[in-house]
Amino acid sequence: MHKVWAVIRREFIERVRTKWFWVSAILGPVLFAGIIVFQIVQSMGGAVRNIAVVDSTSDKLGDQVVEALDASGSFGSTLAPAGPRVIDSLRALVESKQLNGFLIVTDDLVQTGRAEYQASNLGMQTIEALQRTLGRLVVKARLEQKGVNPGVVDWAQIRIALDQKKISHGRAVSDSAAQSFFTAYFMAILLFMAILLYGVNVMSSVLEEKTTRIIEVLVSSVRPFQLMLGKILGAGAVSFFQFAIWGVSARVLLSLRRPIARALGADPTSVQTMSLPHIPPATLAVFIAFFLGGFLLYSAMFAAVGAMSSNEQEARQAQQPVTYLLMISYLSILGLTNDPSSTFARTLSLVPFTTPIATPVRWTAGSMPTWELALSLVILVIGIVGVTWIAARIYRVGILMTGKRPNLKELMRWVRTA
Amino acid sequence: MSEPVVVDRVTKRFAGHTAVDALSLSVSSGNIYGLLGPNGAGKTTTLRMIMDIYEPDSGSVRLFDQIGGGRTHSARIGYLPEERGLYLRMRVLDVLVYLAEVKGVSRRSARLKAVEWLERLGLTAWRMRKVSDLSKGMQQKVQFISTVLHDPDLVILDEPFSGLDPVNSQVLRDTVVDYRRRGKTVLFSTHIMEHAEQLCDRLCIIARGKKLVDGTLAEVKSTHGGKHVIVAFDGSQGSAQQVFADRRLVAKVQDFGQQAELELAPGADAQEILKALVASGARLARFELASPSLHKIFVDLVGPEAATAAASSGSEDRSRA
Repeated sequence: MHKVWAVIRREFIERVRTKWFWVSAILGPVLFAGIIVFQIVQSMGGAVRNIAVVDSTSDKLGDQVVEALDASGSFGSTLAPAGPRVIDSLRALVESKQLNGFLIVTDDLVQTGRAEYQASNLGMQTIEALQRTLGRLVVKARLEQKGVNPGVVDWAQIRIALDQKKISHGRAVSDSAAQSFFTAYFMAILLFMAILLYGVNVMSSVLEEKTTRIIEVLVSSVRPFQLMLGKILGAGAVSFFQFAIWGVSARVLLSLRRPIARALGADPTSVQTMSLPHIPPATLAVFIAFFLGGFLLYSAMFAAVGAMSSNEQEARQAQQPVTYLLMISYLSILGLTNDPSSTFARTLSLVPFTTPIATPVRWTAGSMPTWELALSLVILVIGIVGVTWIAARIYRVGILMTGKRPNLKELMRWVRTA
Repeated sequence: MSEPVVVDRVTKRFAGHTAVDALSLSVSSGNIYGLLGPNGAGKTTTLRMIMDIYEPDSGSVRLFDQIGGGRTHSARIGYLPEERGLYLRMRVLDVLVYLAEVKGVSRRSARLKAVEWLERLGLTAWRMRKVSDLSKGMQQKVQFISTVLHDPDLVILDEPFSGLDPVNSQVLRDTVVDYRRRGKTVLFSTHIMEHAEQLCDRLCIIARGKKLVDGTLAEVKSTHGGKHVIVAFDGSQGSAQQVFADRRLVAKVQDFGQQAELELAPGADAQEILKALVASGARLARFELASPSLHKIFVDLVGPEAATAAASSGSEDRSRA
């Protein structure tokens, strides 16, 4: 046990000492801080767009457009009477950045719903805000043409506030559909990346000992299985350490949202209404359990791949089948999140190689009975035991082998005779 | 006398051929034991079986008069494999501590001893550097420290001199001799007979996985090869070749150009050869009655082709399935 511990410690310390570990440890919080700042900036409603309204309508609709745009809070608009050179001079203003853009309204607006907007930048939000504002105006004007009382029209136009709640394991949680989709999607990607990244770490570590021939000294002191186990656990510990850094920094950043908002000049109270994905402890537990399982399953395979290759190039080729196996669940993320209770999704969560990603996604999406969760966990554990047994045999023979990579038939013999 | 290494009729087969065939040997405590053989003779495979790297197909290995091979006794054995390597990206001190730890040495004492050894071999300034920053000769030293750091009772060295620079070669030789003086046991393999002749108390010559001969150096010399004469020329050889070819006088010749080793024909007298050589007009620098060199015995036993192969290339047992 002392020896396995030594292997784990070496694996952990040497990985944590690399600069790549710290690059990704820092990149995580930086990304998260970026998301927070982005959300705050969005809650500020973005910058006010400065536009001109060129009015060539016969009934002075332009005045109303300017009024409505200013009222929307997203625009600061000025009226420009239509004239022969006006378009050219406005273009010059846009060019010199004195104006963000200009809107041309004609009688067509009310008759056929057509208008024109020219700007240096056609942002989605700007366009949507323009369409919304003009739409309300046009509906009002057209109803008035048919003799409807303007007061009635104003009264009729109300905004819908859709309160979204998700049913998660029998309870309604204040959460939007977009959010649970986002959470599941995010988790799936995180699982995929982490398993792949740290699995490949195990592989290259095995390969290093093989190519530098240290393996011979190691195997004369430590049993090959102990060595493989130590490597996998060591790399696993590194990944948990990485997650811990991310988790702690995310919490710290969350608690700093108010100061950040204040620093950015936004209303600090607005951050309270900011939506954050709701991750209950049960989901977190499922995530950790399946990450651990998936990592053990795949890193055992990656260890075997490293053992059967004799250089980086060979290893890159030999790892492809394993990566494809992991890719299946990655490519199915969209299908899984869209319909988490489909036969397809259920099947994926019952296959050991896809369950590490499929099951947490289905659980997060909230459509998985507890017994199914238990079943897929059992299947995963059985898968780990079986795969590790085979991988350990390949590893034992492979680490001492040099020369050409074994074909499938030879691999089978290794497994049988090891 | 106890026997730190007892190998009992071990056999190891790899796909297609038998690398080691019912080989037995025993190494006595306090001896330097040489395992000699040409390439592919099964030396490395034998040492690997002793070290528990390979499992024998049949037969058994006992170390320190107890069951179990190298892995069980790793804290008492220093093993230097033929193909050496270190973690290139690790710090020198960390590598040494780690390699001692996996042998079962405590972290603290491994550290103390590593510092001590680095000091002794003049590498103290490099202990926090990465292994890859070291020169090849320094890496060899580090490798060597990792073999003996834990002061093992038994040292097993596979082709220890191959690839060593002269300085490290001398360090190794001194250490081996020093080990014997302290009552420890050294088992090493080589195909370079000069090393074996200089160092070994006992030796064993193997070829194609089988033992050909073993015993003390004197025993091997007395039982193999008859009377020998070493002739060295001083310029002109005259018609010495005719004398060498005379089967009434000379049974076998190993001609090195300016020097030759002759095995006398049964019943022949060395003085006759000397007379014949002088008569042939050769100028002699040396004419010496000698026991056969180990190299000569080796060549006689394993055959000239195998011996030449052994001398020209320095490794064996690569890429076995």
